[in-house]
Amino acid sequence: MNKLLFFAGLKDIVNADQLELDMVGKTVKEVKAELAQQYSDLPLESVMTAINEEFAFDDDLIEENDVIAFIPPVSGG
Amino acid sequence: MKDNRYSRQVLFPQIGAAGQEKLQKKQVLIVGAGALGSSSAEMLVRAGVGKVTIIDRDYVEFSNLQRQQLYTEEDATSRVPKAIAAEKRLKEINSSAAVTGVVAEATKELLEQYLIDADVLIDATDNFETRMLLNDLAVYHHIPWIYGACVGSSGMSFTIIPEETPCLNCLLQKLPVQGMTCDTVGIIAPAVQMVVTHQVTEALKILIEDRQALRGSFLHFDLWSNAYSSMKVSRAKNPACQTCGTERSYPYLKGENKTKTAVLCGRETVQIRPSHAKKLSLIKLADSLKKNGYKVMVHPFLLSVELEQNRLVLFEDGRALVHDTKDVTYAKSLYDKLLG
Repeated sequence: MNKLLFFAGLKDIVNADQLELDMVGKTVKEVKAELAQQYSDLPLESVMTAINEEFAFDDDLIEENDVIAFIPPVSGG
Repeated sequence: MKDNRYSRQVLFPQIGAAGQEKLQKKQVLIVGAGALGSSSAEMLVRAGVGKVTIIDRDYVEFSNLQRQQLYTEEDATSRVPKAIAAEKRLKEINSSAAVTGVVAEATKELLEQYLIDADVLIDATDNFETRMLLNDLAVYHHIPWIYGACVGSSGMSFTIIPEETPCLNCLLQKLPVQGMTCDTVGIIAPAVQMVVTHQVTEALKILIEDRQALRGSFLHFDLWSNAYSSMKVSRAKNPACQTCGTERSYPYLKGENKTKTAVLCGRETVQIRPSHAKKLSLIKLADSLKKNGYKVMVHPFLLSVELEQNRLVLFEDGRALVHDTKDVTYAKSLYDKLLG
């Protein structure tokens, strides 16, 4: 099982700041694609992904109990 | 007693008398004099940094006063350029600091002129195009810069040390299509201050040459939902990065990656064309603008919004027409406020 965390504007689109889903064995890219199917408004293309609070690449594999965070680039200043 | 002005900061052992002396010899360039820029400029000028230059293209409006701490109702009424109002207030705060406000668009040429002598650059911009430009310039000229941004109750910051940390281009890999901005999602002042707190602390460490103390991670938080995290990013440093990798093309220093603007012939209208065609979700953007009290009309391929002085028409590919002005810089600032 995995915990998925959504930050800034993303949590308003998902309507939750976290979800519990089983993503074990999938790549970050596959996880994003799955989320995009469910939430078509989710702008995941330029979103940064962290696995267990460490920067993750699209081809990184999700393991059991990994916490996956999605951090959208914020622009205001 | 004027000579004990910095005494409490000197008492802080990590700074001390030696650190204070260094601060007084250092220069900071702040890009943007909105909420982030106001706050970090005030802290740095109070801290006794020798020279602070602040660049901004915009003027003060009433909707700024809730969070942009250097400005007054009078500044908004007279529509004073932010860089001018900021310079005046900062000089009142500390007459011994060399403060310069520059009213201009942060172009490559302008930034280069001012960043050459800076010891650190502080990002207080409201759009990613300028940030990517800043990132290329900072890496090229080997000057540390501190990314900061906020929206709603969220914010983030990261300190880029050229040749050591990943750069912004490593982290984002490309220019985000649409960043979240204060004009579309709103902002509370504590989120601003939280970002600035981290930016200025990192700047102080750089200025007194205590680089060991730098945070190293990418910080992000949401004050309203009580979340505060930092992401380790050392593995993000990309050898193929066009900005800081082994073969560098500095993509954002090239003209083709710049937004094109033009005054339309014979009309009080400025056209803005982004460097890369976007695919915007106009319906979604219209919804958030409506929530923020704007008058908006939206069709599948076109959105029209009434701003304080102007009407802005936005197309799905990111092209926009800003009506009732011939001022290209001003039109671009309205565009960036909506799209980031």
